[in-house]
Amino acid sequence: MLLFQGLVGLTEAMYLWLVAAGLSLIFGVMRVLNFAHGSLYMLGAYFSYAVLRAAGGNFWIALLVGPLLVAAVGWLLEFGFLRRVYRIDEAFQLLLTFSFVLIFDDLVKLVFGPVYQSPPTPKELSGAVFVAGSILPAYHLFILGVGAAVGVGLWLLLERTRFGLIVRATAADREMARALGVRSSRLFTWVFIFGAWLAGLGGALSIPVRAISPGMGELIIIEAFVVVVLGGLGSLRGAFLGAVVIGLLHAYGLLYLPVFELALAYVVMAAVLIVRPRGFFGVREA
Amino acid sequence: MSTRSRTTRRGFLKASAFALAGLGIAPRALAAPKLNLKKPIKIGCQTILSGPLGGYGEFMRKGALLAMEEINAQGGIGGSPIEVNFRDEELKVDVGVKNARYFVDDWGADFLIGIDSSAVALAVGEIMPSLNRILIVTHGATEKYNEDLVYKKKIRQCFRISVPVYQDGIASAMVAKDFPVKKWATISPDYEYGKTSWKMFRSTLKALKPDVEFVGESFAKFGTVDFSSHISKVMAAGPEAIFSTEWGGEAVTMIKQAKLFKVFDQTKAFMSPMGAAMDVLQGLGPDYPDGAWASGRYYFLYPESAENRRFVEAFRKKWNSYPSYVSETSYAALYAIKKAVEKAKTLDIDHVIEALEGLEVSRPAGPCVIRKEDHQAVYTVPWGRIRHDPKYPMPILGDLRVIPADQYYRKPPFPPVEA
Repeated sequence: MLLFQGLVGLTEAMYLWLVAAGLSLIFGVMRVLNFAHGSLYMLGAYFSYAVLRAAGGNFWIALLVGPLLVAAVGWLLEFGFLRRVYRIDEAFQLLLTFSFVLIFDDLVKLVFGPVYQSPPTPKELSGAVFVAGSILPAYHLFILGVGAAVGVGLWLLLERTRFGLIVRATAADREMARALGVRSSRLFTWVFIFGAWLAGLGGALSIPVRAISPGMGELIIIEAFVVVVLGGLGSLRGAFLGAVVIGLLHAYGLLYLPVFELALAYVVMAAVLIVRPRGFFGVREA
Repeated sequence: MSTRSRTTRRGFLKASAFALAGLGIAPRALAAPKLNLKKPIKIGCQTILSGPLGGYGEFMRKGALLAMEEINAQGGIGGSPIEVNFRDEELKVDVGVKNARYFVDDWGADFLIGIDSSAVALAVGEIMPSLNRILIVTHGATEKYNEDLVYKKKIRQCFRISVPVYQDGIASAMVAKDFPVKKWATISPDYEYGKTSWKMFRSTLKALKPDVEFVGESFAKFGTVDFSSHISKVMAAGPEAIFSTEWGGEAVTMIKQAKLFKVFDQTKAFMSPMGAAMDVLQGLGPDYPDGAWASGRYYFLYPESAENRRFVEAFRKKWNSYPSYVSETSYAALYAIKKAVEKAKTLDIDHVIEALEGLEVSRPAGPCVIRKEDHQAVYTVPWGRIRHDPKYPMPILGDLRVIPADQYYRKPPFPPVEA
């Protein structure tokens, strides 16, 4: 029972991880707090749903194409708008990205209507398995697998490729990277596109098990922020650990402290910030 | 034959007009008395119009607009056209109070309707005497609104046209008592509505069937996007049946995830007081488990009356969608205002309140009377079991259980609920 509850908490953590990973990556490299990141998660859900319907209900095509469409929106956002506000005050960046939250909410309402949508769970994954004597949906196992795969993939990408090297160099010292010939504007675009893709993937994975609705992005962005702050702004390892902590806190909080569960994540965040202001793996600002 | 030979053109037209009136095509237009009231009569409606529950407000808005169009086509209220304005309630108390003040002080509203959140209904209800307007709540279901605000505190400006939480917590238990199960658990919202319905359900069921046990409960915060850990927690207690007052998108998500966790294979009954709301029916679609018990504040196929059929058809014609229960309640609120004002023959608030008290309103949901003591509309909403019918684009209810409203409505002096 105990083990099982933790496992269930971990599956919830994986969605958070996908959203927080992109959020943290974008902040680490670009120093932009992208408030619209939750909206990209929402767009991932809506786009995948639209693709799924166009593809005659094939979830796998939707999972492949939906997040790519979100990546394209990410490109549009960075290239068309964010690029213009890098040099001005962060408050304007927040305002700009927040305005996109409202715009995207209204756009999906106009295009898809205000009603809840949710396609059936794909047949291959609608079964269940026994884990620790309890029933765990196959889809949850699948989510755990995807979350772990994205974690490993991101690690390989950042630690083992040239692109990763440039990303890390820029995150560590933007001026120095630029002096060494890194074209930071192009890098920013690619990082933002990649972050958007991750959020889109989270959204796409959510459609068979969570209701799709306008505003669903706002529900996840706050927790994603908590995760990122907990893990250390800009740290992917931190985002992963933060997501796992929040997922487990939620699952065990329901068991042991149900009255207090709502506040638990924030209390832990506050405690971590007091003891270790930069989060688990955050880099101290120079 | 002699009369026919004398038929003139004018006479023929006159006769046709009467014939049409007789067919019910224009009788109300002819009957609308001229009262020389202010023009237009303004009605402020606030509902949730943004965020994940924005779909609810859309349904309420559409019902109110349909009623406005119909009433104005019949000559308005006593000859004055009505105008309805909408504001986003955001389910926040401060926003709700601000909206009410804006409607009355700045926009010049004569009546207020709407409100989805129980907390907002209570807060706005408290200020109605100072605003000196009538509020007709069309969704928020807390029993504190009619029992405390109206009956105990005597705030006469407050009315409610939608069913209270009795539907969720008492009628449900009267249906559940016949199920072959003893162990119940709940996954419900972590606020007033979820807690009160569960308390009423337990108290009513325990009285009807003393050997029931309540083995588990998990309350989910507002805006929960994943119910997996709630489901695993509750299922670990080994319940035979689940009662859940989750609503809107959260009900859709919860039921989908419960299905993945095989909750419907491991338990014998599932009860969802808000599960027959149109948004849940549409949201779950083919995924809605057969046989789940559901209800709402109105169900579009009940009663099978001409009036209900006409409403559903008019709604579909105008909006290309089936009505949800908030569409019916906002629609009924406007007709109740019309009937009360035309009975009072004035907009004077004391006279309109008197007219509303005990008023019999005929509405799509069936005959309804506004109880004098607590200003609560009394009408029956059925419970039923989800079934899939190819005639409809969403699941519908079968096996309807109709418990007359006066059997499950709490009555003055409203003793405390023991749980």
